[in-house]
Amino acid sequence: MATTALTPAGTATKYGLYDWLTTTDHKKIGILYLVNSFVMFFIGGILALVVRVELAQPGLQFIKEATYNQAFTIHASLMIFLFIIPILAGFGNYIVPLQIGAPDMAFPRINAMSFWMLPLAGIMILTGFVTGGAAAAGWTSYAPLSEARYSGVGQDLWIVGVILIGTSSILGSINFLVTIFKMRAPGMTMFRMPIMVWTVLVTSTLVLMATPVLTSGLIMLFIDRNYGGHFFDPASGGNAILWQNVFWFYSHPAVYIMVLPAMGIVSEVLPVFSRKPLFGYKAFVFATAGIGALGFSVWAHHMFTTGAVYLPFFSFMTFLIAIPTGVKMFNWTATLYRGQLIFSTPLLYALGFLTMFLIGGINGAVSAAVPVDFALHDTYWVVAHLHYVLFGGSVFGVFAGVYYWFPKMFGRRLNETLGKIQFVVMFIGFNLTFFPMHVLGLEGMPRRIANYSPEAGWSDLNLLATIGGFTIAASMLPFLWNVFVTMRSGEPAGDDPWEGNTLEWATSSPPPPYNFDRLPEIRSERPVFDARHGLSGGGHG
Amino acid sequence: MTALVAAVSLLAGCGSFGPPDPVTIQGRETHWLYYFVMIIAALVFVVVNGLIIFAVVRYKRKPTDTELPPQIHGNNVLEIIWTVIPTIIVVVMFVFSFNTLNSVDAVANTTDIRVRAVAAQFQWSFEYLSADGQKVLFQQLAPEMTIPAGKTVHLSLRSKDVIHAFYVPKFLFKRDVVPGRENVFEFTVDPADAGQTFSGQCAELCGLYHDSMLFTVKALSPADYDAWLAAQIVKANQSPPPAPSAQAGQVELDLTAKDLTFDKAALDAASADKPFTIKFQNNDPGTTHNVAIKDATGQEVFKGEIFNGVDNRIYPIPALKAGTYTYVCSVHAAMTGTLTVH
Repeated sequence: MATTALTPAGTATKYGLYDWLTTTDHKKIGILYLVNSFVMFFIGGILALVVRVELAQPGLQFIKEATYNQAFTIHASLMIFLFIIPILAGFGNYIVPLQIGAPDMAFPRINAMSFWMLPLAGIMILTGFVTGGAAAAGWTSYAPLSEARYSGVGQDLWIVGVILIGTSSILGSINFLVTIFKMRAPGMTMFRMPIMVWTVLVTSTLVLMATPVLTSGLIMLFIDRNYGGHFFDPASGGNAILWQNVFWFYSHPAVYIMVLPAMGIVSEVLPVFSRKPLFGYKAFVFATAGIGALGFSVWAHHMFTTGAVYLPFFSFMTFLIAIPTGVKMFNWTATLYRGQLIFSTPLLYALGFLTMFLIGGINGAVSAAVPVDFALHDTYWVVAHLHYVLFGGSVFGVFAGVYYWFPKMFGRRLNETLGKIQFVVMFIGFNLTFFPMHVLGLEGMPRRIANYSPEAGWSDLNLLATIGGFTIAASMLPFLWNVFVTMRSGEPAGDDPWEGNTLEWATSSPPPPYNFDRLPEIRSERPVFDARHGLSGGGHG
Repeated sequence: MTALVAAVSLLAGCGSFGPPDPVTIQGRETHWLYYFVMIIAALVFVVVNGLIIFAVVRYKRKPTDTELPPQIHGNNVLEIIWTVIPTIIVVVMFVFSFNTLNSVDAVANTTDIRVRAVAAQFQWSFEYLSADGQKVLFQQLAPEMTIPAGKTVHLSLRSKDVIHAFYVPKFLFKRDVVPGRENVFEFTVDPADAGQTFSGQCAELCGLYHDSMLFTVKALSPADYDAWLAAQIVKANQSPPPAPSAQAGQVELDLTAKDLTFDKAALDAASADKPFTIKFQNNDPGTTHNVAIKDATGQEVFKGEIFNGVDNRIYPIPALKAGTYTYVCSVHAAMTGTLTVH
């Protein structure tokens, strides 16, 4: 399937299956990342529907608790570890070398290895379903529930899978950092790099600093489970809270790992479709770095109710991180001002990102107030919050990127009408699913329960959320159809269909294996814009 | 100003966009803080989203737009403004939440009402402690906590296995029950709420039947509470009555609990209007079960003693009219079956 579906018809040489399996070309690896991530997205989405179907009515109708707990655990694990993080790494892989005018990533073979660990990890995690039950302790796998006494072999498979993904991320981050520092084209100074590259740079730093901590924790948990370690099990002298500290020391920065590159995509799309430069480029760079730095000091806001956290510090830092995020929000909005907005599909998704991520940021700030978090923690409020950040934010950003760069990757432009239909259906479905969850959480519905009483008063909103979930699923049909028909007979895109600003638009679509025949002069963060219009005022200065 | 009106009407419009009315003194403060931060949040949302929507509506590209728009790269004054204003907002939010935290989370240790909630997969029990907290006066195996309204209750939390969380939505509060660590908090139910029962449940995923780990909190007036506690202590110190044995000719039913399920989903008793017995075997080691019987209206007509496995009891069931009843375990609401009497 990969061979035919991914071949850009007529515009470039045909690649065989062997090419795809052995490639070290960052562009093909990027596409492999995207395809693998979308496969995981669809499996994770089906698991989400399993959860929603069971919750549509009170009582247990279709599945038992055992299946339910596996479904939400694997749903979250796939979506986080094998969809959002890798798909953004995939965009980074494809786009970063092009945007800095490099012929490839710094370490092409390591790049291929980073990718191939991911399908393997996915298979490991999913194998749990046929070996007596997949992991069922939540994607957070809190000890001691994740210890051998309370959970089966699916948990071991999960641990090994996540270790593989972590290793893949660490290798990828080193690759990105070296590529960005060492392989920029002449003239491409740090402050002329596209914001997308900046976000990948900061993200890679976060990955490099945080992921080894999680990997260590996972290995400790594995030792606990299989070789009689006593790290996290209080019954044998371990400390259950230690796991949470280690886990969130990675997993909170991971939220920024999952959001920053999406912010990068949006920061590429908004200027192009407003026909203006990004407002406040340097402020944006500093805000990105600020989010990255502060992101390491807020992990324990996931643990306010454990009674084992110094609350004022983590509350204060959590409030603070709203500031650089707010700066970005205002800069994006200011980019739109006095522009000439072209409402193509990528802009719609970018605007979806702005408005939905805004909600995700604000309802997060509400729960930074510790007493409020005492009420809302581990309820559906948190489920609403995290989906507004990771779906309303990251996933809308991902689709902005798909529609924006598809013509570069495959030489054909996705159908605009189908794209807009998908956006509208997805936007409505997303809000139908997740907005009611705020109210469910306020009313006291805990997350991760398969069953609730008909007297609890949660039935109507749950049914609404289930209808919303199927609406989101329905929005994937026009998308898949769009990809299918565009691959077969889409409108040829040309090198620069959107009048882009950055270097990827200065080469053919798809680009040749070595990326560029010649590069335009780089004298600002918008070299292609400068070449098209003549240098207008020397960039942001 | 317009934004303020819009935000307030937005909040009023969805009247339920807030937590339930709190029943504790501490919860009231959280309730107030929630609306304080929520109104700020709603204002921010309305302002920022309003700016975005305005830009989207106003600056659509027109066919006459052949020239590029002004290429504005930024404005340092604006950057400072939109850094400083959010900083002030979040510092104000922090200060208010810090103050509220100090009173919500305060443990004065001066009360003599001390209760310990003990959580285990998948059940709650409650131990009533002496004023110094050293001695267990009485242990309630049913997941029902009884407390005096108007008095401060010192609740400590103990887990026998994994992490659970003690959560009562109407308290606007939860606290994790962590193995190897004894968390405590204090709460005071409003005296006006004496006589009420509040539902609670485990809020931290604790395994297979996490969803069925329910409990209730019953608030009594202090006088009723003292009488209730004294009676419970007397009852607990009595030697257990001799187990009734099945009388000749009396119907005896068998029922077993294992892995948090009853072995039979339905029981049949051909003994309308005659007493009968249920021989109940609890095969879950360390886990408490019982059998309670409810009629079609949900009224409890019999509640057997709750006891730890592995053990058994013979429950004498009073005479029941012909009809359909449900039997449940009082500790595990998900364990149910149907009893038909004819």
